[in-house]
Amino acid sequence: MRLRYDVIVVGGGHAGVEAAAASARLGAKTVLVTPDLTRIGQMSCNPAIGGVAKGTVAREVGALGGVMAPATDASRIHFRMLNRSKGPAVWGPRAQCDRATYPLAVRRLLDELEDLDLFQDMVSDLHADGGLLGVTTRGGVVVEGRAVVVTAGTFLRGRIHVGGTAGQGAGRAGEAPSVALARTLEKRGLEVARFKTGTPPRIDGRTVDFGRCERQDGDEPAHRFSCYTREALPDQRPCWITWTGPALAGVVRRNLSKSALYGGEIGGRGPRYCPSIEDKIVRFPGAPRHQVFLEPEGLDTRELYVNGLSTSLPPDVQLEFLRTVPGLEEAKMTKAGYAIEYDYFPPRQLRHTLEVKTVPGLYFAGQINGTTGYEEAAGQGLVAGANAGLAVQGRPPFVLERDQAYVGVLVDDLVTKGVDEPYRLFTSRAEFRLLLRQDNAPSRLGPLARDVGLLTGAQSAALSERLDQETRARAWFRDAKMPPAAVNVLLRKANSAEATRAVRAKELLRRPGVGAAGLIEAFPGPKPAFDPDVLATVEVDEKYEGYVRREAERAARLRTMAEFAIPGDAPYADFVTLSREAREKLQQVRPSTLAQAGRVPGVSPADLQNLVMELRRLRGSAGRRQSSASAAAASATSARKSP
Amino acid sequence: MDGPAGGRDTIVALATPPGAGAVALVRLSGPCAAEVAAGLLPGANGGRRGNGTDGRERTALPGRAARLRTLVDPVSGQRLDRALVAVFAGPASYTGEDMAEISTHGGYEIPASVVEACVALGARRARRGEFTQRAYLNGKLDLAQAEAVASVVEAKSEAGRVVALHQLERGLSGRVAALRERLTGLSAMLVHHIDFPEESDPPAPVAKIAEAASAVARDVGRLLATAPAGELLREGAVTVLAGRPNSGKSSLFNALLGSERAIVSPEAGTTRDAVEAVASIEGLPFRLVDTAGLRRAEGRVEELGIEVARRRLAAADVVLHCVEASAAGDEAGPAETAFLSSLDAPVLSVRTKWDLAAEGARPRKDEVAVSALRGDGLGDVKRALARLVFGGVVANRAEVPVVTTRRQAAHLATAREELEAFAAGLLEGLPPEVGSAHVKSAETALEEILGVVCPEEVLDRVFSDFCVGK
Repeated sequence: MRLRYDVIVVGGGHAGVEAAAASARLGAKTVLVTPDLTRIGQMSCNPAIGGVAKGTVAREVGALGGVMAPATDASRIHFRMLNRSKGPAVWGPRAQCDRATYPLAVRRLLDELEDLDLFQDMVSDLHADGGLLGVTTRGGVVVEGRAVVVTAGTFLRGRIHVGGTAGQGAGRAGEAPSVALARTLEKRGLEVARFKTGTPPRIDGRTVDFGRCERQDGDEPAHRFSCYTREALPDQRPCWITWTGPALAGVVRRNLSKSALYGGEIGGRGPRYCPSIEDKIVRFPGAPRHQVFLEPEGLDTRELYVNGLSTSLPPDVQLEFLRTVPGLEEAKMTKAGYAIEYDYFPPRQLRHTLEVKTVPGLYFAGQINGTTGYEEAAGQGLVAGANAGLAVQGRPPFVLERDQAYVGVLVDDLVTKGVDEPYRLFTSRAEFRLLLRQDNAPSRLGPLARDVGLLTGAQSAALSERLDQETRARAWFRDAKMPPAAVNVLLRKANSAEATRAVRAKELLRRPGVGAAGLIEAFPGPKPAFDPDVLATVEVDEKYEGYVRREAERAARLRTMAEFAIPGDAPYADFVTLSREAREKLQQVRPSTLAQAGRVPGVSPADLQNLVMELRRLRGSAGRRQSSASAAAASATSARKSP
Repeated sequence: MDGPAGGRDTIVALATPPGAGAVALVRLSGPCAAEVAAGLLPGANGGRRGNGTDGRERTALPGRAARLRTLVDPVSGQRLDRALVAVFAGPASYTGEDMAEISTHGGYEIPASVVEACVALGARRARRGEFTQRAYLNGKLDLAQAEAVASVVEAKSEAGRVVALHQLERGLSGRVAALRERLTGLSAMLVHHIDFPEESDPPAPVAKIAEAASAVARDVGRLLATAPAGELLREGAVTVLAGRPNSGKSSLFNALLGSERAIVSPEAGTTRDAVEAVASIEGLPFRLVDTAGLRRAEGRVEELGIEVARRRLAAADVVLHCVEASAAGDEAGPAETAFLSSLDAPVLSVRTKWDLAAEGARPRKDEVAVSALRGDGLGDVKRALARLVFGGVVANRAEVPVVTTRRQAAHLATAREELEAFAAGLLEGLPPEVGSAHVKSAETALEEILGVVCPEEVLDRVFSDFCVGK
């Protein structure tokens, strides 16, 4: 059997879902090929979406028309806005989802897309012959296309390790690994490396003594991930917090030699910020206790995810240490924790479109690029899928800059700096934290997505409504006059000077401790209804206007460097004024702009200065010789005005 | 001669003052440095002059070792000198490029003809400061160190030289780098505060973050406090001799200069109405200004109001107010006294021509008596000057004044301002994640001192500082 599509997406995880959906929304005929259609959008680890920075990415994916945001709203059973005690600039939405409902919501959203087909089989081979790409499945089906997006997750030569047993080949727990595809990619000359990651055990909630745990309820359901659709929100369930103690540390220490992570069975590197309990005990011997979150896996199951106790110790040891934790003395384990080791392709082999530099038409997204996290995978999937769709339509690429989105920071970090441990987003990775907020994701990215065609008609209409609401909210705060009697209680509470005459809401909003929602509440006239994220946007922009402006100016300055293009064929080996290390690193990365060159590790400011001079010299000599060969260099520097 | 494709050219310059000294040093830097130096050896040009030693001499330029060689003019073949030649392969050289150093005999003729010969072989005459600029661009020196190179060379006194050397040895850079390190720690606290809200270790309380920021601000301030002394040490303290005509200003001027082996040539650019000279007094640099032209404005009490003197006095770091010993105690008229006391600079009253003073006369407590003729009291004037201008520096040797340029001081001031704004903002309820912009700015300011500018600033730098592409 032979099938023909514009874009082929290999893999049905969070990257694959967004890639396929983005490509299809652009109108490219797209097929998603995955070994098990019932597991599309599966949450293989903790069924949670979001957090600080990661939550902003989920919102960005939503603003770009992606599936993750509405699917999370439709399946979330515990929602909290992290960092709520801090300013809205760093709020991070986080949701615990129903493990069973999330994939169903994903499937429903994918089924709405006219240009997307699904096909069940495992891809075993990839071919790229003269512009036409394609894949062959294990069942012998050939799918032809003009672009292929590979989102193989941890399936590439994945090996699962549970302490005390030899590693077993596996993609995710209970699923087969993808060995043939890994071999095919390697044969094309791509560099391969290995990472590891771990999961904690799951337990039966009916065997937990919640009386010994601290209860944590979700927030009022005011905030949503999706800015375009209003999914029906399920009821919320509490999470529970408990702590490890010295007894657990003793059990872990006694059994360290049985750990796959510590027994030397696993060679790949793991993430520092998501350490196994073995790591925590060994690396922080002074810490008396470690926090453990018991998170619900779903509405219809009593299964709990024991967040904080990721491990590769044998199951009997896992049970032993679990039972030292307050509340878990009688716990029954439903699934043992395990470590997984897998192939990834160091992402410096990619362009900003996530296209493999050496194989035009082939795109990588997700864990295959050395990242971790559903949100990071989804963001990359959207970028790769959108660019694959645009490329087959002969349209210019869609690249988000570092001052536009966390997704832009993520992609640029991957292709410029590479990864030396599984990559996760933090706010500290972004230079423009105040610009990249969860609340303003729709106004930041919605118009960009709409203009390139990434939004459906319904999404575009919802975006217009949202932008309109923002305009109305700004106008309300500019015009509303607050009488002293209405606001003085609020001002006293904020330790702010009381008003003696009517003051405009906008002026009061600038005061510390005075919030937008509180002012509307206090307004004596008819109270307008605004989305809480719209209020957050108005509040941050008003309160920290000077800071936001300063950051925007810094971003603008960076743009001038981002506009200084560097030709793709720059002869770095000849640039003898650059340090040897800089020459090698630049040769490897081949940055497209001076700004990107500055972010390549090993390139010093002095190297950058010399690079500018070398490129100008190159352009100068090209001009004198009237050489056509140097046209690339000339066009590269023409972006900058002559001094 | 062009360097290798895309490479920088090779520069040559005389590194020692022309004419002075028994030995002169000619330096070459660039990709062809060794080649140019070898071109000065006999037979280098295709063996046109048959000479048995050609081959051996030509190839025998081992790295990092000086060899005594005969130098010949590459064009005429005439013998230039017998000189020490050493080559250094980059990047382990001063500029980081390939370098050659040729120590010739001194005087004007020989070194100049060696430089000529190098130019004939394709080297380009270096611009002022170009060797140091290359060292900076190649990452061999940071910006503060590069500035120190000039300061060491141009040092006007022992103390000034010590400070400059200290800076060259990364005295300032080291301290700024340590401050920058602490800002990184501060940023880490902020990141912990923002990125890990659910960790077991609670983030640092805001008051603690504010205190950490204030502590860095205080230390930046301490460094900044050395700037006035540092600049004085680098530039020399402007010391204006003021007083009525014939009050002994010029004699004192000459006496202060003459007893020290100081640079006595008047500097260019001074007005013809004032004579300026640099003197090293007590090992400290002073720029003595004699408002000699005022002597012609006889009989006018407001003579100090004359524009030249006024301008000079306004820019003074210290004023030597000269009053003749023989004059009555109230010699300085009220207008004169009022004007002098309106100045920012400290004023030292000097009773001159003490040899003419009445028998048994004693100077007032706040005065110093001096006789330029006999040399009496000169030591008192010098010590008083040193104390008045460099008192802080002299008293507190532990705090070496490491900040010596306005550029450095301006960046330090910015860093302190930003950190103070951050700490104050935090205590007033500014969220740390918003205020962290201040920390970023402070960090950038410190980086500017070292020249480790963040990438977005680099372009501006390149085009403003180094005149590329012209």
